[in-house]
Amino acid sequence: MNIQFKKGVLEICVLSVLAHKDCYGYELVNDISKRIDIAEGTIYPLLRRLKDEGFVTTYLQESTEGPPRKYYQLTDSGRKEEHELKDEWMRFTTSVNALLVGKNDAAE
Amino acid sequence: MLQNEQEYIRILRSRLEGTMPHEELDDYLSDYREHFRIGKANGKTDGELWQSLGSPDNVAREIRVTHLVKKAEGNRSARNIFHAAFATLGLGLFNLVFVLVPFILLVVMLLMIFIVGVLFAIIGPVAFVFSLLQGGLPAFSSWISPLIGFFFCTGMTTFGLLMVIGDYYLARFFYHVGIQYLKWNISVITGTECSA
Repeated sequence: MNIQFKKGVLEICVLSVLAHKDCYGYELVNDISKRIDIAEGTIYPLLRRLKDEGFVTTYLQESTEGPPRKYYQLTDSGRKEEHELKDEWMRFTTSVNALLVGKNDAAE
Repeated sequence: MLQNEQEYIRILRSRLEGTMPHEELDDYLSDYREHFRIGKANGKTDGELWQSLGSPDNVAREIRVTHLVKKAEGNRSARNIFHAAFATLGLGLFNLVFVLVPFILLVVMLLMIFIVGVLFAIIGPVAFVFSLLQGGLPAFSSWISPLIGFFFCTGMTTFGLLMVIGDYYLARFFYHVGIQYLKWNISVITGTECSA
């Protein structure tokens, strides 16, 4: 699949995973790369951008093994963004799917 | 090349050093260290983790673009936007058009001046010797005395040598200008401040 397209979708995926639960980086990367084939290293700059934009905060939490891990958590505005992007995505994919199946007369 | 954590971090650091504040760079590096640490605790090897992260060069480029776009958004000066645009465009195409093409044109031009200069310098004495054998410069037939021929040929040689010398200074000038340009080019691409 087209790399630029994937990168665009990645943001929704990250926000969506974090809407379910707080994650540490490795966990989040793993959840996403299980389903989408992407260079995992590019998720960290994305997380950084989401943090700079105020959609995500981070905190450190002790783990049973090894040093504390950096967890990512959605902020209120991040939650709002997630809702909006998800709605937009749903509408978009519904339209595209309709077009692909050839039911474009339904919109008339 | 060994594909392990240390090497990955080393490459990232070397690609990103100087392009962003130290705290931000350290933040990134600790993210990737943590990724390797937890991955290995989960039974993955260094090589597997390297592969799934993607090449450190690509990741570094991604980080740089993210940083520059943020900088451009935070501070909408034209310079920052150009930085971001160029970084996004990628080094390959940019350098092909803006460095390689002028460089080749310049080298061809300097080379041509040099060749013409050397030719003039050589033709001078050769033509003079030839004219002595013929009893006059061939082009001007025999009514030109050897003395005038001599001056004419000396003039040609001098002119040729001057061209070569001028070419040398021209090359030196373009070398300095070229270095400045490359510095600027690199600073634009990497987003570092130009020290010169």
